[in-house]
Amino acid sequence: MTFEGNVLPLDRANVDTDQVIPAYFLNGISSSGLGGHLFKGMQGGPELLAAYPDATIVVARENFGGGSSREHAAWALVGRGFRAVVAPSFARIFQENAYNNGIAPIVVDASEIDALLTEPSLRIDLAAETLTLPGGRVMKFALDPLRKRFLLEGGYLDFLANKRDAVRAWLANR
Amino acid sequence: MSRSLFEKVWDAHVIEQLPGNNALLFVDRVVAHEITTPQGALEIEAKYGDQLFDKTRIVAMNDHVSPAKDTETAIQAKVLRQWAKRHEITLYDIGDNGICHVIAPERGHVEPGMTVICGDSHTCTLGAFGAFALGIGTTVQTGAMLAGCVVLEHPKVMRVRVDGRLGHGATAKDLALFVISTLTFKGATGFVIEYQGETIDALSMDERMTLCNMAVEAGGTTAMIAPDETTFSYLRGRENQAKGEAFETNVASWRSLRADPDATYERELVIDASELRPMVSWGTNPGESVPLDKSVPANADVKSLAYMGLEPGVPMKSLVVEQAFIGSCTNSRLSDLRAAAEVLRGRKVTVPTIITPGSQAVKRAAEREGLHDVFQDAGALWTHSSCGPCLGMSMGVVAPESRCISSSNRNFPGRMGAGGRVHLASPAVVAASAVLGRIAAPDELEPLVAEAVVAAGGAR
Repeated sequence: MTFEGNVLPLDRANVDTDQVIPAYFLNGISSSGLGGHLFKGMQGGPELLAAYPDATIVVARENFGGGSSREHAAWALVGRGFRAVVAPSFARIFQENAYNNGIAPIVVDASEIDALLTEPSLRIDLAAETLTLPGGRVMKFALDPLRKRFLLEGGYLDFLANKRDAVRAWLANR
Repeated sequence: MSRSLFEKVWDAHVIEQLPGNNALLFVDRVVAHEITTPQGALEIEAKYGDQLFDKTRIVAMNDHVSPAKDTETAIQAKVLRQWAKRHEITLYDIGDNGICHVIAPERGHVEPGMTVICGDSHTCTLGAFGAFALGIGTTVQTGAMLAGCVVLEHPKVMRVRVDGRLGHGATAKDLALFVISTLTFKGATGFVIEYQGETIDALSMDERMTLCNMAVEAGGTTAMIAPDETTFSYLRGRENQAKGEAFETNVASWRSLRADPDATYERELVIDASELRPMVSWGTNPGESVPLDKSVPANADVKSLAYMGLEPGVPMKSLVVEQAFIGSCTNSRLSDLRAAAEVLRGRKVTVPTIITPGSQAVKRAAEREGLHDVFQDAGALWTHSSCGPCLGMSMGVVAPESRCISSSNRNFPGRMGAGGRVHLASPAVVAASAVLGRIAAPDELEPLVAEAVVAAGGAR
């Protein structure tokens, strides 16, 4: 699965999920309709989004998505049309939430971020796990082999639903 | 083979190995609150015939905004309430509720050796009981409600060994802030922290929960402490726990839940507790913390400085605060309230101060000791229990560019309100700061005895 997208250059480390979407927007019961609140907890966040209205790939510095477990952070990214976040590292819960919502959490070496922040767009091949810069340079990245399936096809809940008999059998022998 | 505490609990719950470094892990307990549960409950209803794997393993509570503040949050609470009622799930609601990480152990729903998940990052609090307890997103929580299991990547294990008596004025909160400032905000990512050592052994369950609560602030998957007599005493006789001989049988098996002496760890940190002092955060994540009597560091992050309105070299004790908050899943238990009361007894706060107990049961216990009078005599607001001001979602929002000294766990930009500046500290430091109107240590306060003598002699 390949897509090309414009970059939102988020030249910050430790973008916590309160910055991605503040708690005062967590008052709903649906995962949809949150795109309008994306980055409202970040000083300059809404202005940055306005300056890159067509962006679908976030490029950020280390430890993206720290803090709260709120899946609303992934839902807000999806709601605004984002498909990938490229960073040197992610917080555990956000990374998992991203996989489960079709947002590719792409880990690249920290030394590459300066260059990526200046690129207008990137091409990402999730199946091949490659990221191609406009000049033609190709970077490899690695996705979790199991979660890659959830990323590409969805189906985390179906995967677990199909395990219920196995879980019951395990429990019976516990 | 020698195993850590974490490995023992993990191994006992693996249903099957999965591709990569993943496993399908059985979940003993799901804790469900109104902010992250309704979406999944509705999805199971719509797509999976409303079938839960085992409703008896789920406990629910309205805690983040309770009572509701507006129509939207009222609907969240209503959806959770109706779902719990429909499935006969234990629900803690208005009048008998509190913060999920306070309620779950207080009502006996967490035991050593359990796996516990909740759509809330501070679920690591419950690792204090020797459970493997972690925060996850709504989808993963939904999966656990649907199928009784989660997909998890096998974490690494870091041992943090703490020995010695806590230094003057230092508390479990200061130890937590010290660990995070040492590891940094991301330093434990991918790791479970196993706390060991004589300092940890000497901590009460309240203190252990405070310490484990903040593991996620270093990026940790969770923290764990081996259960011991302190743990068993806490659980013995508690509601939802086995009673009598059945409980003692559980205790006998729980005693094996500790790291083997020659277990190995991917990383180790050794701390001399006697060197610890009261800590306070200066920046915009909990790793940006320093001892209270120090200054903003010279190498401070420029974005954090700008948000907090600070310069390197500014003494922490010079910072004027405009609000104080004692509460949150970090520091809202009875011992935290006693520590605050000890400072506030006979004194007056000089800034708006909000004190929010972690549960209605904590509130009632505090009131039986008269702590509510101490707080209200001091001029503080004594509220019902909830997550409250900690996450800026309901009451007690901090104004832009105002400083709030807080016993909570997060000082992120906008956490307690857009533009608000949060400084994290222990309940005693928050109380002292509320009195002096600036960040302050309790031992800076004038002795009470002398004041009382002067007042008594002068007035009559």
